[in-house]
Amino acid sequence: MKGYLLEIGQALMALALAPVLVGFVRWWKARLQGRRGAPPWLVYYDLRKLFGKEVVISKNASWIFRFTPYLVFSSTLAVTLLIPLVAAPLPFDALGDLLLVVYLLLLGTFFLALAGLDPGTAFGGMGASREMTIAAIAEPTIALSIFGLALGAGSTNLGRIVAQTLAHPAAAISPGHLLGFAALFIVMLAETGRLPVDNPSTHLELTMIHEAMTLEYSGRYLALIEWAAALRLLIFFSLLVNMFAPWGVATTLTPVALGVAAIALIAKLAALGLVIALLETRISKLRLFRVPELLAVSFVLALLAVTSSFLLR
Amino acid sequence: MNTDLFAQLSALGSSLALLAGIALLWRRSLDSYVQAFKWQSLVLAAMFLMVGYFGRDPELYAMAVFFFLLKVIVIPRYLRRLQQRVGAERESQPYVNIATSLIISGLLVLLAYAVTRPLVAVSRLPTRGALPLAMGLIFVGLFVVVTRRKALTQVVGFLVLENGIALLAMLGTYGIPLIIELGVFLDVLMAFLAMQVFVYHIHGTFESMDVEQLNRLKH
Repeated sequence: MKGYLLEIGQALMALALAPVLVGFVRWWKARLQGRRGAPPWLVYYDLRKLFGKEVVISKNASWIFRFTPYLVFSSTLAVTLLIPLVAAPLPFDALGDLLLVVYLLLLGTFFLALAGLDPGTAFGGMGASREMTIAAIAEPTIALSIFGLALGAGSTNLGRIVAQTLAHPAAAISPGHLLGFAALFIVMLAETGRLPVDNPSTHLELTMIHEAMTLEYSGRYLALIEWAAALRLLIFFSLLVNMFAPWGVATTLTPVALGVAAIALIAKLAALGLVIALLETRISKLRLFRVPELLAVSFVLALLAVTSSFLLR
Repeated sequence: MNTDLFAQLSALGSSLALLAGIALLWRRSLDSYVQAFKWQSLVLAAMFLMVGYFGRDPELYAMAVFFFLLKVIVIPRYLRRLQQRVGAERESQPYVNIATSLIISGLLVLLAYAVTRPLVAVSRLPTRGALPLAMGLIFVGLFVVVTRRKALTQVVGFLVLENGIALLAMLGTYGIPLIIELGVFLDVLMAFLAMQVFVYHIHGTFESMDVEQLNRLKH
């Protein structure tokens, strides 16, 4: 019972933390570029403002367009129930493993692409086609890189993998882990629309991907989609930090351990956010036709990660 | 615990070296080729120190110093100078395109695992886990030499291949005797200088570094 309560609490925590994480990355980026930057919690005000606004929908849009924001939001929220955020083996682990996580995320991407096509605008179609190109290459890499870890732990269960790494800390510097981390990091940049692949800070660029699909949304629909995008960033961040550096994750459900775990998670997320901000100020966007090359790099890394953890068992 | 750590560290170092080799395949400008080679050599020099420490072989410390001087400082500097003389050339159209060559390099590493499997099975060395990675690095270096079009990038490919051989020798035997290793270093330096002369001449004759042009010599 306690486990289920914790699971719900963890999902609520993710929901509450996600906007401030996005705001934090933006704030750091602004500081690094010599601007003062909006405070990280501005994103909450943005969301509240959007929820209060009127919704304008194209006459050509069908029910898919109206249904998508809810689906994207709830499928992303469901993922937060399945991944280890603060405590490792949890009761919901039995419901789904990493395959479910990958495909729940992909379900959201798929419907978002459909919704991009639905109103029949040029930008929406363009964004949908690009998003699908990237998702098709990125998705096997996510699964492969986590399989590398799963082979080491003998289970595709995310909670089990974390517990296994906690029990054998030397495994964290094995080649399988490191190559898998590098692969997942690159894919994370692609999947959350961060810089070398997509530019998260502009709406008006011919090369936009994610923003092109959501261009037609307004009001509470847009709020839901933005919140889901923030949640997605948080999910990928916490997968990266908790699967590959799980220190601090609670293995017992005592209040002290959970408090430590929550603080450790926030610290790790902030550190990764800083890394992303540094990366985004240093590099520029890749040409769209070079993105598959970048993803090929990450696929090869994931392949090597699986190979080395399979053969070095 | 000590041998465990040794095994982990050698596998880690080898995968970093392999990573630098794969970075070579992804990048296009000669500058990033040199950069990747430099990082790879730095990792290898650190691995010489590490193997020397765990294998209790002080000769390897001297090797690490030589290796560092030759491959992290001297050769990259010469490569840069060469590049300035002949102008910045990009590997814009390799024989095999970038995405495919990345996939092929992944397959080459798998092949390396298959080839070294019997060796790893009979070996009792703590470094045995890293042997396939070193073999993979050799294959990747060879692949760079075969598929790149410009003379200078081929030279870097050759140097990476040589790094792979040094890594394999170090992991397999904890370093061959110092005198032989010095001979190998000199060979590498000589080969590099000879290639440098070739590069100058190719550039002087064709105003380009594209080795495709060499075909014209036949007619």
